[in-house]
Amino acid sequence: MQAMEISRSGLDVEWRRMEIIAQNLANIGSSRAADGTLYRELHLVSGPRTGFAGYLKSGTAAASDLSGVAVYGIEAGDAPPRLAHEPGSPQADADGNVAYPAIDTAGQMTLMMKTERAYEANIVALNAARQMYAKALEIGRRS
Amino acid sequence: MNLPTVAPIQASPLAPIAPTVALPAPAATAGVPSFASLLTGGIDAVNARALDADKAVHDFILGEQVPVHQVTYALEQARLSMELMMQVRSRLLEGYQQLMNMQL
Repeated sequence: MQAMEISRSGLDVEWRRMEIIAQNLANIGSSRAADGTLYRELHLVSGPRTGFAGYLKSGTAAASDLSGVAVYGIEAGDAPPRLAHEPGSPQADADGNVAYPAIDTAGQMTLMMKTERAYEANIVALNAARQMYAKALEIGRRS
Repeated sequence: MNLPTVAPIQASPLAPIAPTVALPAPAATAGVPSFASLLTGGIDAVNARALDADKAVHDFILGEQVPVHQVTYALEQARLSMELMMQVRSRLLEGYQQLMNMQL
């Protein structure tokens, strides 16, 4: 059931990516986090998962090592904050500006649609693999 | 008059009925699992899958942070391995019945 495992890892990663997008969109108006720092747009970094056997064999990820995809990490973007002139805000600085995270809404929406499509594609692939497995069970069946 | 002494009855060494030829060891040689252990191992694996699916559903219901696809995937895997076990069982039963119907 290798193909199903691979598709499942894709589902996991896309699900995680969707969570990150939701977090970014939810914090679009966050001027400050609890510890005083500015919220930064998060990015999910994913890549092919390297199995332990692959490391043992060559020390690097082998091309034939099919073990799906994995989340490598979540990194904050380094875009400069978006400054809005709101002198009345309690969080305004000396110039009356409030820093908001520089979240690219259109980019996040595009990424969300891509994530959704990728998730669906993984489900389709998983179902195809499942059907092939179920069909293989019919080999040699009498009734 | 000298009577011939009757030879004392003694057990003559009987030839062992069982052949002295060493029987070949059963097919279960070292390293190769026996058929029965293969079967029970498979059943154990199916059971483990079912338990995994059970746990996934349990966690999901209890509100743990489990993505839905992991639950459905575990259920599907349990179902597939169960189907595989049923197929193996029906093949085995067929073979057994053919053996039992054999004319001797």
